[in-house]
Amino acid sequence: MCISVCPGGTHHPIQCIVPPHMLRVIALRGDERTAEMARSLLKQNQKLRQEREDHPHPCNQGDEAPAAIAGGGNTRAGSTFTPDRRVHDGQQKAALPGKLLRGEGDSPSDNADVDLMYDAMGEVFSLYADQFDRNSLDGSGLALIATVNHRRNYNNAFWNGDQMAFGNGDGQLFRTFMDLSVIAHEMTHGVIQYSGGLVYQDQSGALNESIADVFAAITQQRQLGQAAHEADWIIGSELLGPAIKGVGLRSMKAPGTAYSDDLLGQDPQPFHMDNFLSTSDDNGGVHINSGIPNHAFYLFCMLLGGNSWEKPGQIWYRALQELNNPMASFAEWSDQTVAAAIELYGTGSPEALLLRRAWKLVGLPT
Amino acid sequence: MIIEISSSGGFGGIPAAAMHKRIDVDQQAPSLRQEICDAFEPRDLRQLAARSGNSRGADRMVYRITVTDRQDGPHVYDIREDQLPAEILDLIDQM
Repeated sequence: MCISVCPGGTHHPIQCIVPPHMLRVIALRGDERTAEMARSLLKQNQKLRQEREDHPHPCNQGDEAPAAIAGGGNTRAGSTFTPDRRVHDGQQKAALPGKLLRGEGDSPSDNADVDLMYDAMGEVFSLYADQFDRNSLDGSGLALIATVNHRRNYNNAFWNGDQMAFGNGDGQLFRTFMDLSVIAHEMTHGVIQYSGGLVYQDQSGALNESIADVFAAITQQRQLGQAAHEADWIIGSELLGPAIKGVGLRSMKAPGTAYSDDLLGQDPQPFHMDNFLSTSDDNGGVHINSGIPNHAFYLFCMLLGGNSWEKPGQIWYRALQELNNPMASFAEWSDQTVAAAIELYGTGSPEALLLRRAWKLVGLPT
Repeated sequence: MIIEISSSGGFGGIPAAAMHKRIDVDQQAPSLRQEICDAFEPRDLRQLAARSGNSRGADRMVYRITVTDRQDGPHVYDIREDQLPAEILDLIDQM
């Protein structure tokens, strides 16, 4: 993982060009020449990591003082919060959690998926600690437990209330679920659960999904050092099989356009309330109608400019902490985010005005 | 006996990515046949479907299991994956 992520989200310009989690995927799945290049870069990263441990350098401090840094598997001196990561190998069976292969502070294992998961969990932990002063998913240092290689040809990743599990995909429709955005999405389901929860059905379920996607996008953009206008806003860009026509599983920038494929069908997500889908499938369309609040977040970030993990992330996080309504509708959530923007930045602030505009553009005037 | 298994939900929630399996139990090897019959006993499946299960969590799949035998016709059960024992999930993957 990119261990040069510094408090405030600044990145070392060289080591962060290709994130190490991507390098590990390339090392596993690229052709011979590309895989060799990725392995070589990973070795360099490992060396740099060791050097940095031996000779820590000061990072640029942003406006907000960091609580902790955990991205690369190492916490820095002075960190308030420390992750407790436990990565298990499911060995293609369904029993959870499986065999523990890497615990907190352990050396990298021989298993690329395990190490990718360990680093990605550190990245997400770091986001919540640094930007939102939150100690793990429950705010009290909950152990981060993940199982990789869950079941056989399993086309899914989930949060079961206590831990995460990730399949490897069937190789045709999905080639992996080991993607930072997926890992951040599942961990955020844990954050939502410990923030009062959102019932996983109908509009509150779609909000649960959307908030998980929002913080997945934030995690990815922060790791890459991308401002809102530089990001692709794709959830699951690494997932689709080699012959599938698509760029990922969901697009927050343009819901409904992530894929269009003979096997997978057409991305069904709407971006406006006019196209809200009433269905009993998928817990009332939680993965479909989430496109609407997803797009509102995207629009707000674009209208405001800058980094999604700063003001927009603060507003969404505060709204989640103050929601206190597990059955919230889209309208109630949009009101909650505007209330959070006003609390943080003032009634007539650009943040509050532009947020109202974003919600109005998706058919949810506040 | 015929067992049909389909899935819905999951991280993507994409119907086209769902599992669809149809197993003619009589055509299976004797050892596997017995294992399947034991695992997909309608009375047990009914109890599993009735379990409240863990209501926390997200992105899990739901299985629709249809067991059709000559005497009783089809029995249909919708069971969330966390309500199914790991041994049955492994068997589903194996079949």
